Amino acid sequence: MADRFSRRQFLITAGLAGLALKSPVLFANTSGSTALSPIMRRIPGTDESTPAIGMGTWITFNVGGDEQLIAQRIEVLKTFFELGGTVVDGSPMYGSAADVMGEALNALDGHDRIFAATKIWTGDESETRAEAARSSRRWGVDQFDLLQVHNLLGWQGHLETLKQMKANGEVRYIGITTSHGRRHREFAQIMEREPLDFVQLTYNVLDREVEDRLLPMAEERGIGVIVNRPFQGGSLFRRFQSEPLPDWAGEAGVGNWAEFFLKYIISHPAVTCAIPATSKVEHMKENMGALYGKLPDADQRQRMADYVRSL
Amino acid sequence: MSGADWLSYSLQDFVMFGPQVFLRLFVRINQDLWPWQLLAVITAIFIPQLILRQNIAARRLAVGLMALAWIVSGYGFLVGYFGPISWPAAWFGWAFVAQGLLLAAAVFAGGIHNSRFSVGEFAVLWLIAVCGLPWLAIADSGQWHAVALFGLAPGTTAAAGALALALMTKTWRWLYLPLLVLWSLFSAALLWVLQTWWLLVTPVATLLLVGAGFWLSPRTAQNPD
Repeated sequence: MADRFSRRQFLITAGLAGLALKSPVLFANTSGSTALSPIMRRIPGTDESTPAIGMGTWITFNVGGDEQLIAQRIEVLKTFFELGGTVVDGSPMYGSAADVMGEALNALDGHDRIFAATKIWTGDESETRAEAARSSRRWGVDQFDLLQVHNLLGWQGHLETLKQMKANGEVRYIGITTSHGRRHREFAQIMEREPLDFVQLTYNVLDREVEDRLLPMAEERGIGVIVNRPFQGGSLFRRFQSEPLPDWAGEAGVGNWAEFFLKYIISHPAVTCAIPATSKVEHMKENMGALYGKLPDADQRQRMADYVRSL
Repeated sequence: MSGADWLSYSLQDFVMFGPQVFLRLFVRINQDLWPWQLLAVITAIFIPQLILRQNIAARRLAVGLMALAWIVSGYGFLVGYFGPISWPAAWFGWAFVAQGLLLAAAVFAGGIHNSRFSVGEFAVLWLIAVCGLPWLAIADSGQWHAVALFGLAPGTTAAAGALALALMTKTWRWLYLPLLVLWSLFSAALLWVLQTWWLLVTPVATLLLVGAGFWLSPRTAQNPD
């Protein structure tokens, strides 16, 4: 047998090597997870798991009737599904985003692949069911997996109705949301008193206030946590993308800044899912890289927080 | 929500779309309406010709065309294109329609004066507005198709339309003013958040042209009939 390396063999080997270098997280054999298996998180109190990286639609999917931009968003959602994502979060507050999501789900026949989460956003506490129904029509889903009271607006009335809807099987999970670190005291009081399945809050490597109280409380009370603004509305990239990753980033399973920010979040034991938003396929691929491979341990998480503070 | 909660919000929190989506609105309306925008260009250039004639019929026709521009840009651009991504824009769209109807009412109800005023200065300011401001959207987007024409784009329409103050009698002038100011403040805040710095010139120009409209208007202008 000739031991010469043929041109064909060389090209195949070089191609595979290049792919492995380009996608280290997909090929890494990590502790506790096999190659190519996404990082899943169990929804507390259930046997159901969801991928730890989801997708937000704030700003990015509000493109109105712009067919060119709708086509781009369909590609973003397609990439999200292909890379193992399921959890998509929206709100009636986000303009046309719900309609665009409905069009994208139709185009991709994605209704069965999605964990659909939206919010109730109205001060009229008698409008809970009507708004949920409007959102269902816009998304084109029979019902939502998760309905959340947006930024605690009219939360008393909405939550009572949501509890009834859950009991009737009209929704599977219910929750409340906040963002930008607002109203955390009231948020904690509701977490203590109400039978919530999920809370949604802002958490990232710079905004860490929730580590003190809300995340431990969620863990203790068996409430799932969805994390919004994981990139601080994009400002983390603007601030740090020109900086080098630390030498030890690979040891923490991190290959780029998107993975750095996202893995910091989803490695917190209380976090169920982070929901970065993007309008670009390339960014979606980077975000979904965080769904694979090793996660930083507690020491590495501390080093990550210290590192960004030092920059 | 408490006052402290409201203070924790920034302007950015109220803008639910990005600059790319916003600038594409100009491209889309131009692509969808082609070649009707040529009519808008002709109208924009024809209006100062009418004003220069110094007679009330021509002046009324000019204001009538301005009224049409308010209605078309309000219903077309703001309600039809901008409204789906921003509910305040849809509200402003209907306010633009109302502003157009107000101007039309002024034409028929004696709200346009017949007094002499500096029509040359009016024409120069008008042409600066309708020929200069449309380029700002191109500068921000880098696309020729984004040209923000009078009669289609609300910013250029409001800016040039501010000069109608010079043609109106006192009472009508004060009825016409509030939307000009509110729109300028709204669009300035929006464009600031979107960081479309060239387009930010438009609301500033609108406020300056409001001042010019008052300055050009004859102090004694009363109902002509």
